[in-house]
Amino acid sequence: MKRNQRKDDIQPLVDVSSFSFGFEEKEAPVLNDLSFNIQRGETVLLMGPSGSGKSTLALCLNRLYPAAVEGWTKGTIRFKGSDTASYRDGELNQQIGVVFQDPESQFCMITVENELAFTLENLHTPRGEMDGRMEEVLEATGMTEYRYRNIHELSGGEKQKIALASVLLLNPDLLILDEPTANLDPASRKMFIDLISRLKEDWNMSVLVIEHQLDDWVEQTDRVLAVNSEGRLFLEGAPDSVFYDRFQELKAEGIHLPKVVKTAVENGIPGRPLSEADLVSGRVPDPAASEHKSPAMPGSSGTILSLNQVAFSRKKKSVLKDVSLEIRQGEFLAIAGENGAGKSTLLQLMAGLLKPSSGSRTFLDKAFEKWDEKDLRRQLGFVFQNPEHQFITDTVYDEITFGMKLNGAGEPVMEQRAKELMTKFHLSGKKYSNPFSLSGGQKRRLSVASMLDDTPELLLFDEPTFGQDARTTDELMKIISSLQQSGTAVVFVTHDMDLVDRYCERVCVISSGTIAFSGSPDKLWNRPDLVAGARLRLPFRARIQQAVKGEKPHAVVR
Amino acid sequence: MLSSVNPSVKAMTILIPGVLLAFMFDIFTPLAYLIFTVAMTFILSDIPVKRYLAIFSPFIIVALGFSWMTMLYTSDRFAGGEIVFSFLWFDITEGAIITAVSLGIRSLCIVALSLMFVLTTDSTKFMLSLMQQAKLPPKLTFGILAGYRFLPTFRHEFEVLRQAHRIRGVGRAKGIRGRIRQFRRYSIPLMANAIRKAERVAIAMESKGFTGSTGRTHYHEMKVGRKDWMFFSAFVTAFFAVVFASYLFGYLNIFGYQF
Repeated sequence: MKRNQRKDDIQPLVDVSSFSFGFEEKEAPVLNDLSFNIQRGETVLLMGPSGSGKSTLALCLNRLYPAAVEGWTKGTIRFKGSDTASYRDGELNQQIGVVFQDPESQFCMITVENELAFTLENLHTPRGEMDGRMEEVLEATGMTEYRYRNIHELSGGEKQKIALASVLLLNPDLLILDEPTANLDPASRKMFIDLISRLKEDWNMSVLVIEHQLDDWVEQTDRVLAVNSEGRLFLEGAPDSVFYDRFQELKAEGIHLPKVVKTAVENGIPGRPLSEADLVSGRVPDPAASEHKSPAMPGSSGTILSLNQVAFSRKKKSVLKDVSLEIRQGEFLAIAGENGAGKSTLLQLMAGLLKPSSGSRTFLDKAFEKWDEKDLRRQLGFVFQNPEHQFITDTVYDEITFGMKLNGAGEPVMEQRAKELMTKFHLSGKKYSNPFSLSGGQKRRLSVASMLDDTPELLLFDEPTFGQDARTTDELMKIISSLQQSGTAVVFVTHDMDLVDRYCERVCVISSGTIAFSGSPDKLWNRPDLVAGARLRLPFRARIQQAVKGEKPHAVVR
Repeated sequence: MLSSVNPSVKAMTILIPGVLLAFMFDIFTPLAYLIFTVAMTFILSDIPVKRYLAIFSPFIIVALGFSWMTMLYTSDRFAGGEIVFSFLWFDITEGAIITAVSLGIRSLCIVALSLMFVLTTDSTKFMLSLMQQAKLPPKLTFGILAGYRFLPTFRHEFEVLRQAHRIRGVGRAKGIRGRIRQFRRYSIPLMANAIRKAERVAIAMESKGFTGSTGRTHYHEMKVGRKDWMFFSAFVTAFFAVVFASYLFGYLNIFGYQF
């Protein structure tokens, strides 16, 4: 594969010494006095809480920062022994490949072929060699058939593989992966991680993985670096010693530990396992012990929303056909399915945002057509994937009270309710802040709070945890379950089966336009055909359980 | 055939007659050239007639509107000749009718030329050709291409925004003030996302070794060959032939001067 032979240099590939970086002279630096190195052929995992400057470091390593922004640096970064500042424009970028988080904004061309050509042209590759190079990287990433496709028609996982392929064209000595799987569904995520572990040997690359979701990466990691919220390096070492010896320290810093490590520590399993296979051979008692599920509201069996043989087509193309579904009072229902299966469409039909082409819908025993829009919105809330889409005012307070104002509530009532909501959602100090200036987690919480001016009967969520870090996800799920405990029915679309396993009583799998499965999550985990067909990945608990029972682990998703 | 013509040459080919046509104030010249353009479009490409008409026909209404207004309000310079008929308080002269009909046909002619370009040109190849033939800087061409990718995303996001606002109970805006406020509500999240994405794309492009320098190799080498020049000269020659024929028949009128 890679033609240039590995040089037996003694000096590290990357050598960072007391490096700091900041945007403003007066403010605290984003990266604070970092010193570490990366050896040739090594895989290093860099972890840290959100906002600890992990992504900034990636851009400093290939010298895109501080050139692209206003900022200052101190200390040096050496690449192959020379200061990165001494490299010519673009020279460093041609030896360090980066795959970024957002699959939507990494490309500048329309087709896969032209995108790959773009990189080759940057490298001044002679025209005659381009074809062969493209074939080589497409084969390596398993994307050969996608060469002539349009990038915007691909799924997130496929886009990230194309991003990887175009970076491989650089023949990089160092591959930086900046949360490449954060926006992917779990099945695609696992595939991407496995792909990296296969490729790095063949292409003779060092890999720097920047992640806060550590699961699945740990097995292939040689060394772990941990950065804290002040941008300082506070831990470094082999994964087993870092995770098992400094378990409490990492937990205190708000770093999400790998599930394997957590399960092993909590159940006292010896042997410091780092992979699921090792964990299983260590004999887990029952990983379900630490999990719990929100019980349904007692005595709540009334149906609040029902869809009867609903069908929907978009531009003459059938999206949903013959969907019948009932939602009971206070229940917690998840909708899962492959990309493009029609999950979001179903949710929009439930919300009355779309009209079905046939079939009937009732909400609280009244046909949707008979509902007055204003009354409907008081009883039925909808939280969108991107919280920013929902913001319509200039302050957090106005945002929360907007619905109340429309319903003609008095100032004191509004004041009181807003105060309650801001306390509950940890937004008290942000009363007069602009919604757009909030952090990701705060935006997410505000978007939910703004739906709660009245207590709605039904709340719909469209992939609320997509692209969010583990902490925001946890916070949000806690809020959602407390709402459900107080009697609101919750329906949410998700790819994350760990969430489903943990919180939901019922899960519906949408496949080829109909409901292929509806029932308890535990029953779904025993239907590998359905799970694989909908491109889902079994939750950690079920994987371990099935592996302990002697079934082949990872048999479901490949 | 048309789609294989070098895009820069094709752009020139429609630009030259397009600009010159603006000065032809008689009916014969633009009409003859319109027929020529439409005929060439169908001969040299395989655009379905139905699709072409679907795109072309709305412009006929627009052209009719142009003509009508010009007929009623012809400048005195062109409004000579006898009064043909009167409509309300307007006296419509022969000169006014000729000027109006000519304007309508001229605009249709420019539409036909533009359609011939738009329907047969790949946007990526057009940009690459502008870079390779017209020497536009790569920074600009790849910037435009990257922006072009965002258009479908933009439309989708706009749809979602409208739904989200409906959920929040923001109804249809009333009055001009309401419209302005609604525009602001839509534009802030759209702009915020667009800027973020643009930054990310720029960084991703640079991280793949893009420096914006003109010294780069080309995967799609856009060449200008004999065929392209033949296409170019056919259209320009045809234009002057039409003008000459028009002169021989005594129709030719350039900017009000009869020849």
